[in-house]
Amino acid sequence: MSERKLVVRTADQTRRADIQLEESSTGAEVLQAAVTNWSLPTDMDYTLVNTTTGQVLTPSAALDRQVKDGDVLEVQPVLVAGAAAGS
Amino acid sequence: MTTEDRYSRHRAIAGFSQEALQAAHFLVVGAGAIGNEVVKNLCLLGVGRITVFDFDRVERHNLTRSVLLRESDLGRGKASALVDHARDLDPAVRLEAVDGDIRDTLSPSRVRDCDAVIGAVDNFEARLWLNRLCHLVGRRWVNGAIDHRHASVEAFAFDPAVAAACYECTLPEQVYARIAERYSCGGLMRQALAAKIMPTTAITASLAGALAVDAALTPPTASRRLLFDTRSGHATTATLSLRADCPGCAGQAAEGLTVVSLPGVTGRGLAAWVEAHAPDQAIQLSEPLIVEAACHQCGQTEATQALGGRPGRQVSEAATFCFQCGSEAIAVDLRDVVEAADLVTVLGDRRLPLAFARVGPHLIDPSLP
Repeated sequence: MSERKLVVRTADQTRRADIQLEESSTGAEVLQAAVTNWSLPTDMDYTLVNTTTGQVLTPSAALDRQVKDGDVLEVQPVLVAGAAAGS
Repeated sequence: MTTEDRYSRHRAIAGFSQEALQAAHFLVVGAGAIGNEVVKNLCLLGVGRITVFDFDRVERHNLTRSVLLRESDLGRGKASALVDHARDLDPAVRLEAVDGDIRDTLSPSRVRDCDAVIGAVDNFEARLWLNRLCHLVGRRWVNGAIDHRHASVEAFAFDPAVAAACYECTLPEQVYARIAERYSCGGLMRQALAAKIMPTTAITASLAGALAVDAALTPPTASRRLLFDTRSGHATTATLSLRADCPGCAGQAAEGLTVVSLPGVTGRGLAAWVEAHAPDQAIQLSEPLIVEAACHQCGQTEATQALGGRPGRQVSEAATFCFQCGSEAIAVDLRDVVEAADLVTVLGDRRLPLAFARVGPHLIDPSLP
């Protein structure tokens, strides 16, 4: 099983970590680790952006085809507010 | 008094077509913080037509972020209040307000007949609805969102020539769990679930409004997101990845369906149309409908019969309480896929109380003109 060496940071770039994980790991697992280790607010949802390729990653898919060694992944909040329009 | 062309500064921009803008029609869904900014910008640009949708009423806390709303608007419908003030910006812009829930008021025909939909809403359910409708019709939409620090704008390229991601392609699974919290296990609306207050400011709203209009005026070649952090000035643009097993768009026709207008169609009328034009096709409803309700103790009562044919979201979970036997014994059968015969049984000669229904390659629009 091969591994990927990546950099993960928050959108405001105040937190950053070098990580090494199995290529079968998913974006959702990286996000969960970021929320836990960096004590990010748990009442929000997050997505992962590969800033090297400029792609928003599919959270449930394995990272193997979405990242390569050295890529920088950014944890972005899923914003909800704007107005109320019906539902 | 001057006779100078109002749009002379726009015309000085190379490649800028004021005539193309004047021919354009935008739907703005949400008349709050971002919606105000979007409508302001579209009016100042001199677009031809804007239709604004919102179900909500103006409250005092809206006034710190909604540039066109005033103290005198408190209690008014947000869409109407916004449109009234926007008319002063450019009388040549044709403005229409639609006060009400978009699940009742935003029809496939309206989406088909516009150039783009700009979503400025505050919850996931409304975004999922806009995403699904725009994808089915094949019309691009722009999603604006904010918190107190960030502005995010996503543009979805629902174009026949582009295999582009939809809003749900990159949405975390937890979002569906949050939506599910609003409904009982039977699919009825939970009562008294407090809404979370999201801190937002006029700064992030104005930024999102500007970026959303810019995105709406630029037909995208792929679905993209721009996230801007107003404190650090850091911005990230990214392409949204198409997900093969996406719950929102996988297996759905990206090129759009044929919208069939059947104004005010009844259950019996739609069943007859299906038999004539798409026999043996299941009818996929825009949202779950109560097809049957009965008390375990008392069977069918006047109260349970009244539930039949209503969208599940209009009925609270309190409706499972039977006043005849005094227990929570009413079982409700909600379905979003039905047969033609079901419509005759459940609705008969009553109007289809939904925004749309899909029958094979047809998207039925029952809205009245």
